[in-house]
Amino acid sequence: MFKFAPYVIKTLLRHHTRTLLTVSGAAVAVFVYCFVLAVQEGLERLTTQDDSVLVAFQANKFCPATSHLPQDYEHVIRKVPGVRDVVPIQVFTNNCRASLDVVVFYGTHAEQVRQVRDFELVSGSWEEFEANQDTAIVGQALVARRASKIGQNVSVGDRLTIGNLNVTIAGVFTSENRAEEDYVYCHLDFLQRTRGTDLVGTVTQHEVFLQPGADPQQIAAAIDAKFKSGQIPTDTRTKGVFQASSLQDLIQLIDLVRYLGWACLGLMTVLLATTTVMGVEDRIREHAVLQTLGVTGTRVFRLVLSECVLVSFGGGLTGVLIAVAVLAASSLSVGAEAVSIAFTPSTSMAATGVIVSALIGIVAGIAPAWRAARADIVTALRYAG
Amino acid sequence: MALIDVQKVVKQFRKGPETITPLQETDLQVEKGEFVSLMGASGSGKTTLLNLIAGIDRCTSGRIVVNGADITTLSRTRLAQWRAGNIGYIFQTHNLIPVLTAYENVELPLLLLPMSRSERQKRAEIALRAVDLVDRANHYPRQLSGGQEQRVGIARAIVTDPTVVVADEPTGSLDAETADQILQLIVQLNSDLGTTLLLVTHDPDVAATAGRQLKLVQGKLVEDRRAQPAVAMRQEAV
Repeated sequence: MFKFAPYVIKTLLRHHTRTLLTVSGAAVAVFVYCFVLAVQEGLERLTTQDDSVLVAFQANKFCPATSHLPQDYEHVIRKVPGVRDVVPIQVFTNNCRASLDVVVFYGTHAEQVRQVRDFELVSGSWEEFEANQDTAIVGQALVARRASKIGQNVSVGDRLTIGNLNVTIAGVFTSENRAEEDYVYCHLDFLQRTRGTDLVGTVTQHEVFLQPGADPQQIAAAIDAKFKSGQIPTDTRTKGVFQASSLQDLIQLIDLVRYLGWACLGLMTVLLATTTVMGVEDRIREHAVLQTLGVTGTRVFRLVLSECVLVSFGGGLTGVLIAVAVLAASSLSVGAEAVSIAFTPSTSMAATGVIVSALIGIVAGIAPAWRAARADIVTALRYAG
Repeated sequence: MALIDVQKVVKQFRKGPETITPLQETDLQVEKGEFVSLMGASGSGKTTLLNLIAGIDRCTSGRIVVNGADITTLSRTRLAQWRAGNIGYIFQTHNLIPVLTAYENVELPLLLLPMSRSERQKRAEIALRAVDLVDRANHYPRQLSGGQEQRVGIARAIVTDPTVVVADEPTGSLDAETADQILQLIVQLNSDLGTTLLLVTHDPDVAATAGRQLKLVQGKLVEDRRAQPAVAMRQEAV
């Protein structure tokens, strides 16, 4: 088969404009498809996090601005069997609705951040953060996004001002969980006092870390039972479920976006099939000559199919590379209700994009290749095209 | 036994409500090394007979045996494989593959045979030398004249050392001078290499260069003349 590789490649290059346009079309389709995959993967990462972390929120409240739990619930929750640690968190966000530029402040005990998160500082110091009440550590993706979106370069020692909140950057962190990089972590006391409203003694939520092997449902029920008849009842769920419910509206939209991705693949299939049919019609006579020389119909089929798969694969690979570059460089994310979905490139996204494009090449090439292989030689030799 | 044995071959096809019969119970035997011209008016069935012998068309009934193989019983794939090893086809309009160089066009039929790269290279060079086009080996068809293109077509037809070379109006699209050169080359193939040649033409002068001249009228062989080829006579005279 490889003996005919120069013929296949030269054939594709003969109509280089047509080939280039088809490759570009395939690249655009695969780029959009990969983008959709990245959005879905980001959502999946958020909503299927392990069950070892619970979030206790105020019952019947859905926005972080309206959830006010007593801070001292921390001590009660800590005593529930199976609980390893409790982190009270005050949340402040500049926008509760869905937005591409949500900034979320998590106010918590500074010394706990290092214990419960996998953050690694790329600049600044933990000591600086823990020692100063008005400091914060900022996720790297947020820093990149502020720089690219509003031209605000944020680095250690700079002031970050969102609304009436003003913090000094003590460090910039990275995290395995890319969504965390969209958040700002600051001191709990600072966030409770600084915005003019006295929230001392209340927090938005308690993050509950369970001991290995503990049953999350059972513990969530036990926590809620503790406060059922108390001052403010809680609604405790695993972090994944909690984030999924916060992003409910977005989830529906993202589900819809999936169809857009499929539609792009459908268009790519039609585009490739059309171009390959045109190529076959242009070369009816050429294929007949090949068959006269002794090339079998099966080989003609494989030659045409190879052309289609090469174009599709080339376009797919280009689309994947562009998607990876754009996603990596843009630090894009969408957030709602103080929960952020990060769009990041992944190996599985890239592999899916490449494999799907190759499969589309095969599907799109079958009908034209069959047509070329089954054409009557004598009739085709008379063809003037 | 004849190299080519055509037995009561009938070819019919339908064109709308009409059934057309370009060949009617045709019999023909061609011996190894013969140079046979098939002459006749348009629609006489000469190209149809050539295509049937070359295995690119199927007869409606009858039998065609070439070099001991009954090609009428072969499957489409087997027939293609048989053509690769047994038939060299010279087209009227050259039909070179435009994206391949002269060398690559000549090498193309060899890709279908079990052969090493060096063997392919050797054979392609010999074939190009035979048509005096070694210096144009890396030229694309668009960079060649009509006569040069046809010579590449001839090299492509002989490169596999086929059992039979068939030529369908090989000089039909060339000017008189170039046509004469091409014809000389074809005659040489037969006389020097002993290649069995079947040539279709409507030109009596071209037909006269063959050692055996057949004439078809309305799908029937009406004349079978064996004569000393004109070119050979000229050569002898010289």
